[in-house]
Amino acid sequence: MTSLDLDPSEILERYNVKMEKAMTPDDAAAELYPKDDLIRPIAESIYEGEEDDTVEGLKKAIKAGKDPIALIDDALMVGMGVVTKLYDEGIIFLPNVMMSADAMLDGIDFCKSQAKEPPVSKGKIVCHVAEGDVHDIGKSIVSALLRANGFDVVDLGRDVPVDEVIEAVKKEKPMMVTGTALMTTTMYAFKAVNDRLLEAGIKVPFQCGGGAVNQDFVSTYELGVYGEEAADAPKMAEAILAGADLGKLKEQFHQH
Amino acid sequence: MTVNRYTKMAYASADDMIFGNSPNPVKAGLDLEIGAGYTTPEVNYAPRPEAGETKEKLVKEYERITRDIMERMVQVGFPAVVLETEHVQQMTNNPTWGGEVANAQKAIMEDYHDEYGIKCALRHTPGDIREDRDYLQLRGEKYNTLMESFEEVASNGADLLSIETMGGKEVFDRAILRNDVPGMLFAIGCLGTMDMEYIWQDIAKVAKKNNVVAAGDTDCAQANTAMFIAGGLLDKNLAHTLAIIARSISAPRTLAAYEAGAVGPGKDCGYENTIVKSIAGVPIAQEGKSSTCAHSDVMGNLVMQCCDLWSNESVEYHGEFGGTTVQCWSESLAYDCALMNVSLQTGQSKNLRDMMVLSDKYRDPQGYILAYDNAYKIGEAIVKDSDDIYLRAKNAAVECVNLLENADPKLQMTRFEKNALADASEALAGLTDDSDKFLSDSLEQYKKEVKVFRPENYGL
Repeated sequence: MTSLDLDPSEILERYNVKMEKAMTPDDAAAELYPKDDLIRPIAESIYEGEEDDTVEGLKKAIKAGKDPIALIDDALMVGMGVVTKLYDEGIIFLPNVMMSADAMLDGIDFCKSQAKEPPVSKGKIVCHVAEGDVHDIGKSIVSALLRANGFDVVDLGRDVPVDEVIEAVKKEKPMMVTGTALMTTTMYAFKAVNDRLLEAGIKVPFQCGGGAVNQDFVSTYELGVYGEEAADAPKMAEAILAGADLGKLKEQFHQH
Repeated sequence: MTVNRYTKMAYASADDMIFGNSPNPVKAGLDLEIGAGYTTPEVNYAPRPEAGETKEKLVKEYERITRDIMERMVQVGFPAVVLETEHVQQMTNNPTWGGEVANAQKAIMEDYHDEYGIKCALRHTPGDIREDRDYLQLRGEKYNTLMESFEEVASNGADLLSIETMGGKEVFDRAILRNDVPGMLFAIGCLGTMDMEYIWQDIAKVAKKNNVVAAGDTDCAQANTAMFIAGGLLDKNLAHTLAIIARSISAPRTLAAYEAGAVGPGKDCGYENTIVKSIAGVPIAQEGKSSTCAHSDVMGNLVMQCCDLWSNESVEYHGEFGGTTVQCWSESLAYDCALMNVSLQTGQSKNLRDMMVLSDKYRDPQGYILAYDNAYKIGEAIVKDSDDIYLRAKNAAVECVNLLENADPKLQMTRFEKNALADASEALAGLTDDSDKFLSDSLEQYKKEVKVFRPENYGL
């Protein structure tokens, strides 16, 4: 500044600097890698987000006799588990997760191409952006985080008509539906999805979030569970696997 | 209309930059002059969702909003106000709806101007509707509808024309989530600028024909997305150093509107506007501490430093204890402006400016770079290669990285932020200076990686 300057320490606190973990992300990851010589390089490549190295590692493991489908759980998901654990603990950032998810999905595709039987997924989830809304970066994050946690995602894209959401739910029979919306004007489509699902007798948890969406609004329809941040989506899916019903989900995730 | 590049700075030094004053003030609306020695509140609002059901309901809602704001301004004795109507999609998709809303609003504003002499102007911001479900469709049928919308609002009472264009967003959304700085450069600096040049030449024609003001754009769709994802200090979604690199790259993109015929005031959510003002000397709108009704940021006071219009970003119309939301927020904005205007009239404006800046300059890398002294340096880096849209965007990114790498130690950064900065620095160092090569390599890469990317949107 030209005319004034000051020591800012009395007027602000950078809590992120204050709270930063002593351990570097790489050190933290190194402590979590599996010991197996064939599996570890695959897990490392997932953490690094290096697709080519992932496929290379899988080739070596398959050549050494590992089953390609078993490698999805035993290597790819283990590597991704390192990533999601570090993200949950605040040690790495979202872009790291996205790049790792890219590598993992390439790895899964490769494993599928090498196997005769399809893998068994943890559960299927239908994701969409509300009708009338073309802003899909939030949905892309939700989908990537769900995939990173081993869920099978049916991504319907953006500006999805209510009819199409209902048809997809009837066809795919998902354990959960997610909806994102940026604007208050488009989030009303969530209510329509809720009503049509109930009319059809389908009581599937419907996780909603994004932009102007808030818990008060989501609480106005029966199937709605509010996700304050994208990372809530896999946590909700895990809670459902652990037996949580709609009431429990709302109890756990509705914080305000 | 042609595109005229800015090749030098509008100010001799950063210290000359101040709120309420711009080298090229803009007359608009009913006796208002923006950037001519005083700041003015700009109130922005959204109708209640159910109001969008029919045209009649929507027009009534905007009439209520307009009357509420004008009434509060005169009740508390403020001399000037700007109203910004950011279209809900129905209004842009049905151009006559937007026209009717503008007409109804302007009639009320004229009544207040006639009766009380309050200076006022109406900004209309049609939505960028050039997107369908699967693809951005920047040119073609939707473009024509968008231009009709501008024509309707301009001929029915809007004084200032703005938009928040989406050009480049399809590539940006992928790049920002992967720390891909070259992708951000391609998306914002190249694709975004190409789209801006195309659309703003036409908007400027509409403005000229209707004798209104082509006011400007913002990189909301990209730089604000980065800022929003980056979030607060404890969020782990994006390094704030990456968010400010995206913001720096957004400045030459926003500048392109003025190079294609806009004159300002720039849009409120363009936090890059201080950089743009340093180059183009146009008046700017800004938002910060009085836009917490819409979003949080980490530079609420700092961004007031050079504003000519002071905005609340957007608030849904409903009741509060103190009146309707638009009344509450317009009053807050107007008191902020009164303080700035007092400082201007008492010769203390630079002290007030610097106090605003220092309250946030070290809060975050974003505030550090957007502080007017550093923003000015980014501006200088941009005009150095102003004729080359790739190089000037790259220069902005490189200068941002340099400023952060050599930052005043009072700016504390986390290891995450420093690591992201180091990665960005390395990526930038590896980039060519050959624009044609960068463009053709990027085109090839993102056609493969981003399935919704259509080069024909950009004339490529």
